[in-house]
Amino acid sequence: MNEILNLLTGLAVGLNLLALGTSRLRLLIRAVAAQGVLLGLLPLLLEHGAMDWQLVFITIATVAGKGFIIPTLLHRAMRTANIARELEPFIGYISSLLLGAAATIAAVVIAQHLPLFPEHVGSLLVPGAIALILTGFILLIGRTKAISQVCGYLILENGIYLFGLLLIHATPMLVEFGILLDVTVGIFIIGIIVDRIQRAFDSLDTRKLTALHE
Amino acid sequence: MIPPFFFGSLACLCLAILSGRFPRLWLALVLSGAGCALISAAQVLGDAGNWAWEASFTLGCQTPQFLVDGISALFLVPVSVIGGLSAVYSREYWSDHHHPDSAPRGRSWSAALILGMILVLSLANGLHFLLAWEIFAISAYFLITLDNTAPETRKAGWLYLAASHAGTMILFAFFSAVAARTGSWALGPMRDQAALAPLFWLALCGFGVKAGLFPLHVWLPSAHANAPSHVSALMSAVAIKMGVYGIVRFSAWLPLPPGAGWVVLGLGAMSALLGIAFAMAQNDFKRLLAYCSVENIGIILTGLGLAILAMANGQAAWGRVALCGTLLHVWNHSLFKSLLFLGAGSVLHATGTRDMSRLGGLWRFLPWTASLFALGSAAVSGLPPLNGFVSEWMIYLGLIRAVAAKGPVSGAIVPSVIVLAAAGALALAAFAKAVAIIFLGAPRTRRTAPVQECGWGMRAPMLVLAGLMLWVGLFPAMALGPAAIAATAWNPGWSGNVDIPVFHLGSLHLLLACGLLAAAYVVLRKVSRNGLRDSLTWDCGYAAPTTHMQYTSGSFAGIVTRWFAWILRPARLVRKVRGQFPEKALYLERTPETVLEYCIHPLGRGVGLLAEGAKKMQHGRLHLYILYVFAGVVALGGMAFWGGM
Amino acid sequence: MEVLDILARLLVWLVLAPLLPGIINKVKAWVACRQGPPVLQLYFDLARLWSKGVVMSTMASPGFLIAPAVAWVAVVAAAMLMPLGRAGCIFSFDGDVLLLVYLLALARFSTAWGAMETGSAFEGMGAAREVSFAVLAEIGIITAILTLALESGSISLASMFTPPPGPGAALLAVGLFIILLAENCRVPFDDPNTHLELTMIHEVMVLDHSGPPFALILHGAAVKMMLFSALLVQAVLPLAHMPLGLSLAAMAGGIVLVVVAVGLVESLTARLAFRRVPLLLTIGFLFCLFPLLLTWMEGVL
Repeated sequence: MNEILNLLTGLAVGLNLLALGTSRLRLLIRAVAAQGVLLGLLPLLLEHGAMDWQLVFITIATVAGKGFIIPTLLHRAMRTANIARELEPFIGYISSLLLGAAATIAAVVIAQHLPLFPEHVGSLLVPGAIALILTGFILLIGRTKAISQVCGYLILENGIYLFGLLLIHATPMLVEFGILLDVTVGIFIIGIIVDRIQRAFDSLDTRKLTALHE
Repeated sequence: MIPPFFFGSLACLCLAILSGRFPRLWLALVLSGAGCALISAAQVLGDAGNWAWEASFTLGCQTPQFLVDGISALFLVPVSVIGGLSAVYSREYWSDHHHPDSAPRGRSWSAALILGMILVLSLANGLHFLLAWEIFAISAYFLITLDNTAPETRKAGWLYLAASHAGTMILFAFFSAVAARTGSWALGPMRDQAALAPLFWLALCGFGVKAGLFPLHVWLPSAHANAPSHVSALMSAVAIKMGVYGIVRFSAWLPLPPGAGWVVLGLGAMSALLGIAFAMAQNDFKRLLAYCSVENIGIILTGLGLAILAMANGQAAWGRVALCGTLLHVWNHSLFKSLLFLGAGSVLHATGTRDMSRLGGLWRFLPWTASLFALGSAAVSGLPPLNGFVSEWMIYLGLIRAVAAKGPVSGAIVPSVIVLAAAGALALAAFAKAVAIIFLGAPRTRRTAPVQECGWGMRAPMLVLAGLMLWVGLFPAMALGPAAIAATAWNPGWSGNVDIPVFHLGSLHLLLACGLLAAAYVVLRKVSRNGLRDSLTWDCGYAAPTTHMQYTSGSFAGIVTRWFAWILRPARLVRKVRGQFPEKALYLERTPETVLEYCIHPLGRGVGLLAEGAKKMQHGRLHLYILYVFAGVVALGGMAFWGGM
Repeated sequence: MEVLDILARLLVWLVLAPLLPGIINKVKAWVACRQGPPVLQLYFDLARLWSKGVVMSTMASPGFLIAPAVAWVAVVAAAMLMPLGRAGCIFSFDGDVLLLVYLLALARFSTAWGAMETGSAFEGMGAAREVSFAVLAEIGIITAILTLALESGSISLASMFTPPPGPGAALLAVGLFIILLAENCRVPFDDPNTHLELTMIHEVMVLDHSGPPFALILHGAAVKMMLFSALLVQAVLPLAHMPLGLSLAAMAGGIVLVVVAVGLVESLTARLAFRRVPLLLTIGFLFCLFPLLLTWMEGVL
């Protein structure tokens, strides 16, 4: 079981690098969606056989939310804003890839120095979570288009979610639901804002949003 | 048997300083001085063991002490070999005929430089070490500014002098701190006095300036580029090694602070990568060679850092390999870098320009220089079967063994291996560029004067160097012996046979060399049998090629320069083709010395502003001066009073 | 006995290598529903070129003729260092893998030299690109070597190929495959079919070569292809633990598989835009770096 868990987490970390290395927003959104689906499946694996309906329900909700609803919203925002590529990122693609790799290595090293429960020592959950959070920050800092930044935010959220899985026994399901709902609503609102920004400024470049207008 | 040779060499060199006006006598004296020094070094590296000598008189209240152990002897070898060869070379290169004023001066100072370096390597008393260090530093200054008519040279000389003295100041602090804590100026192993450990950082900074370690290298490119080429060869091959010697020496004698290995390793790797990135971006071939020295010093220090780490962790298996590689690289770098600088001197002598964009196609006029320079380039790029590969291979071997050992340090060494690999590939790119742009293709500018190959006076030293390079490359087992002796002198715990399969490497090198020669012969024969026809460069059938279409040094380096633009900060001046009757298009690119222009110069300007402010206090009114004195006395009294309480 | 062994290996490398480009071309033809040139085409080409005369640029020095020979010897020497599955190596010592890497560097240096001899803008461009991109490729190769060294605890080619099966091997395979494509000038880095594009790297360097030196260049490229395929196969499959016959068969099969994959990539993808080449090479480097991380984690845990 642990091996499949590690494999899924490893794949999610690999998707990070895809997200960092691509200039196509469509691919970026798909990477984030795939990552969401992968991570959504994890709770099923963590509960060794004990299948209660709550768990199944949260899995379905997470997969649906992260894998389908949010990406659809983002795709729609992308279409209305009429952009397909991130052209001039602050941090170039090669540099962000290398930074992402460095973040992953740093995550592994940090995880080895954290005082973990013995059952978490061998797993990739903790380093994966840290790597996801760091990658999210790299995207948030390094990209200029609002949609890429949203994707960065989603990866960051995925990392937090992965951390949450460590505490799956302690966290009430309600909290999980609350987070998921917040995120969905947040994306929904951002989608609308992206559209408005595009209409008002003719661009989605967040660098241009430094001056206030009435 | 050492004292007569050693003191004979000192005496010969002292006499040589005085005989600068008599070129033949001078040459004989320098050569015999260098030869004697070489013999005494060879005896120490052979089986004679350490040689120590103490005078019965005092000089400056201190007894002069000499100590030549494995490390000193290892560094003495390049000093004497390169010193002698550059003296031979200078006879034709900087002849009395062309430089009636400066040639005698240059001869005296270069003898002083060699003498200074031999003294630095052999003195074991802090005070005398500093004196010798000053002789060495000052004579290098006068040699750099030998051609003192060019403002650029004078500027480079001043920069060198300032940087060198900043380093010397740190060394003064270092040696006096050592003397204060041990109670004597005599130097020797001090491993057991743990309180001395922090002083290693002072030594690293002070000697690092002279060695040209990356952020401290600011003086190096302009000094090496503007000095006459035989001096550049001596400076780049040997003089900066005195800095390396200092670091090696005091990492062997001082107790090392924790983390010293990591710092040296990191600085070395950074020097290697950034040094060669800067080299790649240069258009002036002597500056390129100078930056490449920064790279090689970086490689040397990477190996030394690994050895320090190994010693701290008690890992002879990889530490010794790395240290032997490091020490052998000191030799190898002196050999190929002096060959390259002497070759560069020959090009400069023939064409009068250091700008690669004006050269090209020189192989036809300078066949000897071209082939020797190409050999040196292959060696500096670390290509088998030449000497550069042997030592780089040993350093790599140490690094990868350290990684494969799965010890506590293995993960953290990985980045330095990757950085070294990148530096190696970049060195190949930089030297493919240098050799191709200077010697291959067609001339990029029309020449007015005919280009003439250098004479035997300049060719012979280069041939000797090439022979030595081949010797180390093809028979590395013979060169490993001295390096292993020096390594044992560095850490007496590491003795016995070294586990380096250098004999295998040597035999493969020999096979490879035979294979290369045979293949070249077969191809040339086959081609001449099949028939050889000359024609224009085909170039996909382009009908009217001009020499201006060739790739230039800037365009060759363009890709790499863009990767490193964050540190190289190239300044561009572009005028594009525009309009119906366009003006002449223009593209100029210049790579500044980033550390100098973006860190040191602003700092200097800040100090200048402060000094400007302080100047206001100097107004010529006597009564106010007396007030200053009074205020000073009161302040001192106050300090003494409250300090006493 | 040893001499026979050396000769047999030399023969295997020299005679079998020109098959690989033939297989690639066959695969490409098959995907495009063409008949394509015969698999043995390169042998015919080599024989023809070897007996032809040479046209040499007036600007070029004799180095122009010698450079291909140097590159060829370097590549063949590197190939002779490579172990062949269970059959192992002829010479092997600690650190021979670095000699292999630097022999390839020697080949690169002399190819670039030969290109710069002609003073043509095209060939200068190719040489500049070759030496610059090689920096990234070399980083990748060294990282792969570090991974193998960490897995096996050895740095000699004879004993360092003991890959444990798992995700690490898969990642390393992808990384080495990307490097193979770059170092052997295949699509998506370079297009071996055309000489006339401004995005060319390797092919443009050898524009002016002809006759026997050109034959050496073509043959050397085939040997280099086989060398990298052998490296890839052995870095992924634990051939050293199989019986001799099986390991040789697996190696041959693996090499053919790699070559077919190259052909498929070539048929199904387009060449990358020139400015994206470093990105793909960086990805290749990362694919080699992550198995290193995995192995290191296993070692520490």
